[in-house]
This record gives sequence, structure tokens and C-alpha cells, in this order.
Amino acid sequence: MNVALAILWKDLATEWRGRDRVVAMAVFSFLVVVVLHFALPARDAEEARRLAPGLLWVAYIFAAILGLNRAFALELENEALAGLALAPADRGWIFLGKAAASFVILGAVQAVTAVVFALAFDVDLAAIAPSLAIVVALGSLGICAVGTLLGAVSVRTRYREVMLPLLMLPLLVPVLLAAVDATAGLLETGTLRWRSVQLLLVTDAVFWIVSFTSFEYVLDE
Amino acid sequence: MTAPGPGPSGIERLTARLRGPTGWLLLVILVPWLAAVAWAPEDSVQGVVQKILYVHPPLAFAAYLGFLLTALAGGVFRWRGDEAWDRLARSSAEVGVLFCTLVVVTGPIWARGTWGRWWSWDPRLTVTLLLWFVYLAYLLLRGFTEGSERAARFAAVYGIIGIAVIPLNYFAIELAGGRAIHPENLARGSLGAGMGLPFLLGTLASLGAFVHLVVRRVELEGLRNRLAERAGADGGRGEEFGSWDT
Repeated sequence: MNVALAILWKDLATEWRGRDRVVAMAVFSFLVVVVLHFALPARDAEEARRLAPGLLWVAYIFAAILGLNRAFALELENEALAGLALAPADRGWIFLGKAAASFVILGAVQAVTAVVFALAFDVDLAAIAPSLAIVVALGSLGICAVGTLLGAVSVRTRYREVMLPLLMLPLLVPVLLAAVDATAGLLETGTLRWRSVQLLLVTDAVFWIVSFTSFEYVLDE
Repeated sequence: MTAPGPGPSGIERLTARLRGPTGWLLLVILVPWLAAVAWAPEDSVQGVVQKILYVHPPLAFAAYLGFLLTALAGGVFRWRGDEAWDRLARSSAEVGVLFCTLVVVTGPIWARGTWGRWWSWDPRLTVTLLLWFVYLAYLLLRGFTEGSERAARFAAVYGIIGIAVIPLNYFAIELAGGRAIHPENLARGSLGAGMGLPFLLGTLASLGAFVHLVVRRVELEGLRNRLAERAGADGGRGEEFGSWDT
């Protein structure tokens, strides 16, 4: 457990000093929002509300891919990844620390992206902010679990930046569909749709258990 | 990783035993199957396009079998560390992707003829399509990972998540309002008179072809390993597997 906290602290401290990952992710997701705004212009408030859930999650998932790719790329310097693998602890805890750090960083980016998105598409996200935060957190938990496991895999392959989305996206379909459905429910009625939250919870549980137990096999000494 | 003991491993013995019978099964079944398909009655509503029934679901059974086998063999490899299981996982993924590609190609031909459009986002179609993507990614992952031992470990992990995600995908697509128009189950006596035999023969032919191709692929991989071992070209692996030579 201490190992997980130490890695979480190390990742967040590194990020706080450099702030390169957060800035790159945020700028990229703003760009995605702008591009989406022109690609799918919403003519009225009704249409904006209909398009918003899917588009918001597209921006989130792109930002997440960018961030998760960096999470292990930075461990390649000075063979830090081999150091992590040699840490005298269950490797599940290493996974937990890395995934938690990615979750915090992604959360920060998602919060500012939501503000930009609400302004660009003129949808009122402030009114549903607390429930939306729950949905986003549940979605990000799944994304960070799979992304951390597969990030450790793809960083050891050729074309690593390309490999991560190829591996990750087909697995993230349940998370994305459930999160989009929950967000749409929030925008329509202001209440959480239990069915989609349930699916998010189950998917998160499956991904966290599988990733926690499999992480041992993806780190090399 | 534990080195295989002296002599062929269980998988090698099994593939050697299966190669002949499955090959003969294919040869023997091919002509009766084609004849049965030709003589099978034409569907009164769908017309001749319905005859794709004797190809499409049998291919799908084999494709699903391939992905299940990939995950299982990957799981056993992870547990026992015997490299022969990884060869089986890899082979059944490759053959499974081939069969799944044929499913994804034959499906729209049938759909165009009966539903009037090439593709619908029905849950079963979508789940199959996503599985196809997962196993394409599986093969890419193997291709882009250096070192066969590392590739085997990564692939085992990915193959297992790929299977775990199937039920989740199914629920998610239903949640997103994917309308189910794909027929449910053929085993419930929904086949018309004279359609049962060609369907059965088609299923046997497809599964026979699947097993035969996997067996051949496993053998090829084994030969490749032995060659690499002999040439000592594969660095660490040559040492690892050459040590029991007596």
C-alpha cells in the first residue's frame, strides 16, 4: 500500500514541477472541442443537448489517450521502468499508484475541458455539476485501469503511441457507452440513470480486478 | 519460464493426433456439404440469399471458438509457463481472425438481401465487430512486441481481458439502444424441412477446417522455433530451449 502511495506522490510531484502532461492534455482537449464544434455545429439548444454527451466523451477519451501514453513513456528515461519492476512489493500496488496518478491528472483536465465545452456548445453543465462529476469519475476509473495496464504493455512495443489506442479503444466501449448514456440522462432529466451507473460500476470492478492481478505479467525486469 | 521437458509436449502430441482426422473429415465432408446446400429448398420469403445460412453461422461458431481458445490457452500459458500453450493461443487467434473476417463479410451480404441494408448496429453484430477489433489488436500487439517471451506474456493478458469484455459490451450496446434484429437461436427448431442436414454439415466443415488450420499453424510455429533454436538465431531463446539436447 505504501508503494502505491509513494508512486502516486512521485507522479503527482513530477507533474506539479513540470506540468507538461496536464498542459498538453488540456490544450489538446480544447482543440478537440473546437474541432468538434465546427465538425458538428449545433443549430439550437435542443440539438446541442443531444450532441453534447457523445462529444464531451470523445474529447475526454482523446485527452486520456494522450496522458496515459505519457504515464509510462516518462518511466523509460534512465530505465526507471526496470526500477519499478524491481521494487520489493506486489506489482499490483505499482499499478494502483500509477493508475491513481493518471486518474488525478485526467480529472483536472476533464474539469477544465467541461468548462470550455459548456461555453463552446452553450450547454448548462453547471446545474448538473455534482452528478456529472460522479459519472465522469466512474468513467475515468475504468479508462485509467485499462489504460495503465495497457500503457505498460504498449510502451514496450514498437509504435508505442499508436499501439495504446488500438489496444484500449475496443475494450473501452462499455465504459464509453455507459458514460455517454448516463451523461445524456443527466442533461435530459437532471437525475442519474441507475442502469448506466450500474454498468459503469460493474465494468470498473472487472477492469480494476483484472488489471490489478495482471500487472505482474506486464512489467519486465 | 520453465523449459519443456524432453520429448514433445502435450500440445504437440495432440496436434499430431488431430492433423490426419480433421484433414480427412474436411475432404470427405466437402462434396456432400456442397450438394446438400445445392439441394436444400429455397426459402419462400428470402429466396436464394438465405442459403448463406449454411456458411455464415458455422463460420461464426468457429470464430467464437477461436477467441475462447485463445483466452484459455493464454490463461494456461500464464499459469504453467509452457511455451506450447502460447503457440496454441497465437494460432487460434490468427485462425479466429480469419474466420471472424469471413463472418463480417458474409453477414452484410445476407443482411442486404433480407433486411435491405448492409449493416445494422444490432448487439450481436456490434459485439462480433468489436471482438474482431480486439483480436486484430491482439495480433498487432504480438507483431510489434520484440522478444517472443514478452510478446507471449502481453498477449496472454490481452486475450483474457478481450474475453472478459464480451458480456459488458453486450449490455452496453443494449443500453445504447441497439435494436436486436439478428435472429436469436437456430437450435430451437426454426429451421425448415430439409435445412437441418446442410446446416449440420456446414457446421462440421467449418469446425473441422478451424481445428485443422489451428493444428497446422501450431506445427508451423513449432518448426519455426526448432529452426531458430538450431540456428541459434533467436538469442536467449536458443540457449533456453537448446539446453536439454542430449
